[in-house]
Amino acid sequence: MKQRKFRTALGVIFSTFEMTLRQNVIDSFILFTILVQPILIALLAIWMLRDQAANHAIFIVIGSGMTGLWSSLLFVSGNSINVERWIGTLESLVASPSPLPWVILGKNLAHVTQSLVSMILSYFLAALIFNLELDIVNPGVFIGSLMLTIVAFVCFGAIIAPIFVMNPGVQGFQNAMEFPVYILCGFLFPIAMLPEWTTPLSYALSPYWAARALHGTSSGALDLPEVLFSWLMLVLFSVGSALLSAFLFRVMLRKARREATLGLE
Amino acid sequence: MNSIEVEHLKRIYTTTIGVIKRTKKEVVAVDDLSFSIPKGELFGLLGPNGAGKTTTIKMLTTLLIPTAGAARIEGYDIVEDARKVRSSIGFIFGGERGLYWRLSAADNLRYFSSLYFVDPEVSRKRIPYLLELVGLKDRAREKVEGYSRGMKQRLHIARTLLHDPDILFLDEPTIGLDPVGARELRQVVRGLHSEGKTILLTTHYMFEADELCERIAVINKGKLVALDSPQGLKKHVEDMNVLEIEVFGIQQDRIESIRSLPLTNSVSVIDRDQRQLLQIHSPSGSEILPQIMAVLGDQPTGRVALREPTLEDAYVRLVKEEA
Repeated sequence: MKQRKFRTALGVIFSTFEMTLRQNVIDSFILFTILVQPILIALLAIWMLRDQAANHAIFIVIGSGMTGLWSSLLFVSGNSINVERWIGTLESLVASPSPLPWVILGKNLAHVTQSLVSMILSYFLAALIFNLELDIVNPGVFIGSLMLTIVAFVCFGAIIAPIFVMNPGVQGFQNAMEFPVYILCGFLFPIAMLPEWTTPLSYALSPYWAARALHGTSSGALDLPEVLFSWLMLVLFSVGSALLSAFLFRVMLRKARREATLGLE
Repeated sequence: MNSIEVEHLKRIYTTTIGVIKRTKKEVVAVDDLSFSIPKGELFGLLGPNGAGKTTTIKMLTTLLIPTAGAARIEGYDIVEDARKVRSSIGFIFGGERGLYWRLSAADNLRYFSSLYFVDPEVSRKRIPYLLELVGLKDRAREKVEGYSRGMKQRLHIARTLLHDPDILFLDEPTIGLDPVGARELRQVVRGLHSEGKTILLTTHYMFEADELCERIAVINKGKLVALDSPQGLKKHVEDMNVLEIEVFGIQQDRIESIRSLPLTNSVSVIDRDQRQLLQIHSPSGSEILPQIMAVLGDQPTGRVALREPTLEDAYVRLVKEEA
């Protein structure tokens, strides 16, 4: 019984993943968010650090890729609920027997996967155009960090979705959340450059631990216990986010059905 | 056994007015509504705009939680057993929204069939069958954004039949369709009914309800006004005939004069380009005609006809009586 349910869930997640990717490849806003914006940020970072670019090339590539990852999650995942509402499919999704979190999981997975493209693009930009050396010191551990980063981002995105289900107005807060996370999580420069009082804020954000693990394993700046600690934090944040998301979905969906916010009428 | 049971259903919407001093305003959309629909019946829900038809359907399809009362679909409570209800129903809300326009019809159906847990083997056969049923087989691979309104409506029908539900909620399925498209869609609805599906249909087209429905509930301001078969509803106006007179540029004072005639129950005017159609409801049939012609005097007139009252006449009387 459980096995059948698991297979059914995988089917819904995969078909949502596929459907989302098919739609996103022809969406100019999404293409800008995952392709153009991270490239602009990478260009800016390479230019700003041009004297030291050779030493920090991999840092820049991963950092700009993470900006694409975060922006995609924040804007595309959040907005996708509002888009469903505008085109009238949110009601169809909610009224189907598939639990909405399965659908959101498929969507977030698609958004995170496609935003990895921005990391690959930044890599080629730095390697081919700026002729920078891009060695990853611990490739195996780096791949592990990348996998946990994807899980952590997907789980974090699952917190955003139910809030949008309940209240389309939260879209206004998205812009305010984009750049502070770039800075506080050390995507493009180490958080040691920030005032000391901001450090606890960084520790409280899962993207910080993702950036730390990715930067640390690519440059070799972290030893294994430090990498494992970052991984542990990513796992804890992922589990916490998933539990919080499950609670929010239950509460927000009921609230949306009570307050009639699933449709536009 | 009843497929749908509605007991004292009530739904209140709360809105806020004002920016600084916000006051809450409550709107009662559905007020103490009760009815039941036996298995296999095609049931109509009629009412003017804002009567609560769509709100009722949204509650029955688990999209809204009732403020009070209860409803059961196939014995399952719409609030407590929402997931079980969702598996046994299909629904369409009138209009073009509710589809992924950037995907093809086939892709839309494939995605929705996965959401309804349709076995991939089954959906591989069922999707082409449904596309043929609604006449979209030849354009199944085109993006929905290029479809006409009628094609989108038909795709909605196909979408709602993917999991072969026993109960269908069709909210104004023919709205905005051309006469040919609407007729084809009515044919599909008739076919589904003959397969034994329980259907709750809302429409503004009285002839459509008359043609399709076995029983009709008329609601107004959220309350049940009448519940009967189309023939039974027409009995509300069996005491009158409808005299139709085509006129050209009639003055308002003449309409008022006809209204004030002793045997006139009501007069309505339908504008048709340069002409107007006077519909005079009267218990005396053609006997009132000489008096009306006297009022019209030198007014240019066209066709004059006496007809039996229709469901629309009954509906108008019922809704006006409750207004």
